Amino acid sequence: MLPDALPPPDVCCLGLAKTFGSGPTATEALRPLDLTFAAGQTTALLGPSGCGKSTLLRLVAGLEAPSAGHVTIGGNSPAQVCARAGLAMAFQDASLLPWRTVRGNIALALTLARQPADPALVERLIALVGLDGFGDRRPAELSGGMRQRVAIARCLAAEPRLLLLDEPFGAVDELTRLRLNFDLPRLWEKRGTTTILVTHSVTEAVLLSDRVLVFSPRPASVVADIAVSLPRPRNRDVMATPAFRDLVDQASAALWAGSLAGPLAAE
Amino acid sequence: MIARAGAGPRALPGWVWRWGALLAALALWEAAGQATAGRFLIAGPSEIADYLWTNAGLVGRALAVTLQAATAGFLLGNLAAMALACVALLVPRMAWLISALALLVFCLPLVATGPILRVLYGAGTGPQITLAALAVYYTTYLPLLVGLRAAPASWFDLVHTYGQGRMAELLRIRIHAAVPYLVSGLQIAAPAAFLGAMVGEFTGAERGMGVLTIRAIGALDVPGTWALATVASGVSIMSYLALGALGRRLGTHPRDLLLAPPQATRRPPAARRALGRLGRAVGLIIVVLLLWQGLMEGFGLNPFFAKRPADVWAFLVTVPEAAANRALLLGAFAQTMVLAVPGYLAGLALGAMLAAGVVLVPGLGAAVLPVAIALRSVPIVTTAPLLVLALGRGATGTITIVAVMIFFPTLVACLTGLRQTPGQVMDLFATYAAPRRQRLLLAQVPAMLPAFFAAARMAVPAALLAATTAEWLATGIGMGSLMALTASTSSYAMLWAAIVLLASTAMLAYAGVELLERRVLRVYASEQRQP
Ligand SMILES: Nc1ncnc2c1ncn2[C@@H]1O[C@H](COP(=O)(O)OP(=O)(O)OP(=O)(O)O)[C@@H](O)[C@H]1O
Ligand SMILES: [Mg+2]
Repeated sequence: MLPDALPPPDVCCLGLAKTFGSGPTATEALRPLDLTFAAGQTTALLGPSGCGKSTLLRLVAGLEAPSAGHVTIGGNSPAQVCARAGLAMAFQDASLLPWRTVRGNIALALTLARQPADPALVERLIALVGLDGFGDRRPAELSGGMRQRVAIARCLAAEPRLLLLDEPFGAVDELTRLRLNFDLPRLWEKRGTTTILVTHSVTEAVLLSDRVLVFSPRPASVVADIAVSLPRPRNRDVMATPAFRDLVDQASAALWAGSLAGPLAAE
Repeated sequence: MIARAGAGPRALPGWVWRWGALLAALALWEAAGQATAGRFLIAGPSEIADYLWTNAGLVGRALAVTLQAATAGFLLGNLAAMALACVALLVPRMAWLISALALLVFCLPLVATGPILRVLYGAGTGPQITLAALAVYYTTYLPLLVGLRAAPASWFDLVHTYGQGRMAELLRIRIHAAVPYLVSGLQIAAPAAFLGAMVGEFTGAERGMGVLTIRAIGALDVPGTWALATVASGVSIMSYLALGALGRRLGTHPRDLLLAPPQATRRPPAARRALGRLGRAVGLIIVVLLLWQGLMEGFGLNPFFAKRPADVWAFLVTVPEAAANRALLLGAFAQTMVLAVPGYLAGLALGAMLAAGVVLVPGLGAAVLPVAIALRSVPIVTTAPLLVLALGRGATGTITIVAVMIFFPTLVACLTGLRQTPGQVMDLFATYAAPRRQRLLLAQVPAMLPAFFAAARMAVPAALLAATTAEWLATGIGMGSLMALTASTSSYAMLWAAIVLLASTAMLAYAGVELLERRVLRVYASEQRQP
């Protein structure tokens, strides 16, 4: 367990840009981007497929080197934060180790974070993502949605202060997804966690976040920055309020307008 | 992916490592040659160059002869492999039998089949071509069969949802999936064909590299032996690289770990599986005996050298000297196994350990892989006499030859396997800044296991080949020597008995490794489709 003294960090991207390859085949995934993710906030990233959302998360996690600009996490570089196990990322495909059981995959995060084994915590996480009774199964025996839930549990295990979630519920069924949408924020509110969440669901973006960023098609630029000041904890009742619907409409409209500004507009 | 490639500032560019290593090796070699001058051990690069310069015509002609036989065997063997793989695919019920027979033929000891083929064909290039073909077909057949099946189940489902059948499966999916496997199989086959042709020439051919090698060994011509081994290695490495370049032009890329869900086949209960295995073993034995007898009778081969199953049975069980025959055979067998088993284990262990060690040093893995690939194609067996010269006729020499023979393929397989760790898994480790050692132990080594076991399986016949060839050419004990002796004294019943014993040993050991492999991979590669 991390000492509670460690507050959640803010994330600053300064002039951050990424181009894959070079010459005529170069792909500009991000053009210089200035962004700040406030400490303790949850920010949802919305944008068309292939616009560079995963790239942005990978840059923040230090998995890619930026072509220009830099990222700081609470004033530190991503590498320094990784070395302290200060962040965790859920990848777009669950990327579990096929030879480890559900339990083993979750416990792996503790090992990697140089924290003592904690079987009770692992059990709690399994229950949290609704996988009771599946602790001894291997990934090959799970459905796609179940694997994603294991990946989420693994992310949470080492109690990171920065969570990078890349479409973590993409393959999870609507009902479980909704339940996770209600439960997970409680967990990270209690601990104080900065969260950056990529999702394709506008509803989910509004439901989970304090702020929604809408990106244009590749190379990504921010076309809308929407503050979400709905009360917490959020539940089904919140989803029925006019304020909620209003925000969802705003985000959808921005997504639509952004796509018209991009290369699709020609059609 | 910076974190994955590990190309940090400390890592030197690959070519520096490669050329540096090459130059260092040459210098060491030359120094060793100088240091041991006069002790009939090592010939350095300068002596080899000198020999080749003075004997350019002789070596050139021999090389042409051997290359011709190797090429013919390569083509025939690979055609046979492709035909076999297609049959196995189209008649799935027979696939196990076809695979088992193919393996059995691959497990026949070249040291014994060589002389028999020589008697069959008489003079000429028949035995060389046949042995070259025998040396390659299995190394193509196996990866090809795997490749033809190496596609996620969902691809086949896709074809089926459009109402298409097996033919469309084959044309639209299987052939494409198989190309990279076929190319890698052919790459291994090219040096193997050359080796097979040389071993074929050991048994009384008139011309060729094998003949020159035998003569050089007999005359204790150290520079000659070294020069011939060097030329053979150079040719093998070149053929390997040429096929690799061809593969790249065809646009085949190193295959990724397949992360497709496994087929939803229900495993039958353990008792039924054991029964099934027993049934197959019995079936295989019956088929082999029938084929053996049938081929001999069908071709009307002379019973003097073409012994039938009943002859071998009589030789080992019913004739008055049967007990003495058995004692001789088993004595030689024990001598061989005592050397082959430690060599096999040492080769596997060293190959896997070096592969794992190499990835711990940034940049080194990328540098070692091509060198290891090149050295893998060295026809180790033809260098056996050199190793025995250097290490003596005792146990160490033979064990080293077996270990070296297995070491390089294992190293290459393991290095490739280590690189096939899924990128996202490595990214996960990177987000925790996990140290290299931890990445290796927790992610890369488990991901390497399928490749390791594939190498361990294929190494079984290779170990026996290396041990018997070393015994035949150099140490004069064990099965290799016994087979060579019986071939020259025409005691063909003993020769056939030796073939039966060695082939069944190889088959059993192969099956044993495969069983272990299944057990391990069920856990460690549960997402990979089992071939
Ligand atoms: N390693 C890479 N090499 C080359 N191009 C890449 C690489 N990774 C991503 N790209 C390109 O960068 C662009 C953005 O990719 P990214 O994965 O960030 O998209 P995304 O917004 O996450 O899309 P999705 O919503 O579909 O996941 C794409 O055009 C993609 O082709
Ligand atoms: Mg993405």
